[in-house]
Formats: sequence, C-alpha cells, structure tokens
Amino acid sequence: MSVQEIIDKLAPIKEMLTETVQTTDLRLYISCESENSFAVNKFLLEELGLRFAIATAIDRESFFEVLYHFSNDATGHVITTKAFIRDHDNPSIESLGQFLPGAEWIEREMHDEFGIEFRNHPDMRRLVLADDWPEGVYPLRKKVKK
Amino acid sequence: MSWKMWSLKKSVWVFHVNTGACNNCDIEIVNCLTPKFDIERFGMKLVGSPRHADALLVTGAVTRQAAPRLKEVYRQTSKPCVVFAMGACACDKGIFHSGYHIVGPVDKVIREEDPNAIIAYVPGCPPKPEAMISGVVKALAAI
Repeated sequence: MSVQEIIDKLAPIKEMLTETVQTTDLRLYISCESENSFAVNKFLLEELGLRFAIATAIDRESFFEVLYHFSNDATGHVITTKAFIRDHDNPSIESLGQFLPGAEWIEREMHDEFGIEFRNHPDMRRLVLADDWPEGVYPLRKKVKK
Repeated sequence: MSWKMWSLKKSVWVFHVNTGACNNCDIEIVNCLTPKFDIERFGMKLVGSPRHADALLVTGAVTRQAAPRLKEVYRQTSKPCVVFAMGACACDKGIFHSGYHIVGPVDKVIREEDPNAIIAYVPGCPPKPEAMISGVVKALAAI
C-alpha cells in the first residue's frame, strides 16, 4: 500500500484536514484544528485500524501543537495527526482517553508539562511531576513562569 | 581506631538507593555482586534495609521527588555510615545538570541533613565495577 492509497482513504474526513504532507515513503503528516482532532483521530483508529503509538506536544510560543502518532504495522507507515491549539493562554483539546485507554497517561503527562487541558479525560491527576511541584508552573513551556 | 570502627570496616553492608539514575550505574552495582567481581569476598553485602547498612550506594542526580526520601533513608541508616555517590550524576548532576526537576548532587542533599556526613565519590558514566570496588576500598582506608 502506498501513502497515496492512505490519503485516498482519508476522503470522509477531508473537510476537517487543513494540510496533508508526505515527508518520506513511510511518513505522513495530517493537520487539523483542535476542534476536529477527536473526530480525525477516532477515524484513523477505528475506520483505518491504525495502532496508536504515542503522542507528543510542542509549544510554538503563539499556539500549541498536539501530535498523535499512529502506526500501520502491516505496511510500516507512520501517520501523525497534528492538532493546533490556537488559544495559548487556556489551551484545551478533547481527550482521546475516552475511547483509547492507551492515550490516557501520555495526555496526563502533556497536561503536567505543558498545561494543556484534555476535556473529558477519565482521570486527570498529576503523573510525572513531583508531589510538591507548584500548581500552574509548566516546565516544558518556552516561557516558564518562575 | 576504635574496635567498633575496625570491626565495621571488615564487613561493610551496603544499601542501594536510586535517586533518579538512568539505571546504568545500578546495573554496574549489580555487576559487582556477580561471581566475576564478587564483592562479598571483601565482606561487603547488599542488604534490603538501610537499618542493616553501613554504607549507602547512591546513584543518580537527586530529583525533587527523591530528595526527601534520600534524607529519610540517610536518617534511618545506622551511624557511622559512609555515603557513596556512584557515577557522574550522583557526583555533580551529570547530563541532568540544568534539568528543572533536579535539586542537587547527592552531597548537597545529604549535607542538608547532616553537615558532617562522610561522602565518597566514584565518578564515571557508569563507573566500572573495578572503579566502584577501588573507590570503596580507598574510602575505607581513609577513614
């Protein structure tokens, strides 16, 4: 299966995607706004049958990116969905933990490190920071409040 | 040298504390116990409780979460005891030097608890088992 065939399969969610970029033979990035992240990722997981590998977040100073990385183990493709959170002061995005338990802990970690709120997350307790770490200080943001 | 010190030095029982190490130093400490190096022939023994220990083998730069626990373990260790900072991170934070979750090298945290603590340093990333054994022998000779 080529990347073009994967792109063809994305037709039902095409309106929600802002950009589709292929960087190598096996690597595909699809972008969307944070409101559509839930539907796009649910489609990849449940309709295309991809395996959720991991999620990452980036602080871009004026907005946040949350990247969910999916793998197609049969063909070796890695497909990453980028969700842009435009509100840098109160970042929030719908949680995938509702239907994908494997995403719960990494979302908790992103919440600890970046202060991104995951709406409707089943269990949003602190995961990686120390117990006495002050509230509201997010160490991996570009401008950390001291 | 008092008879107590003389007898303790003959058979140092060690307790292993990981305060945020990457596990590499810990693997080398376990390596010290294998038949190839076999530190038990020097009377050293890894024990399961700080209350039984004469020395603490501390690995890793001390994280914010681990610092109060390291102090607690030091308080529970029977005195006199020697603290060994094993590896570059324990000696001076190593590659985690500017990490946001690091409170300090092992000696700083231990000295907050006891300014007169006996601390020995074994640098390396990780230190070889030979270096660890050599460090322990040198430290015991200096006491």
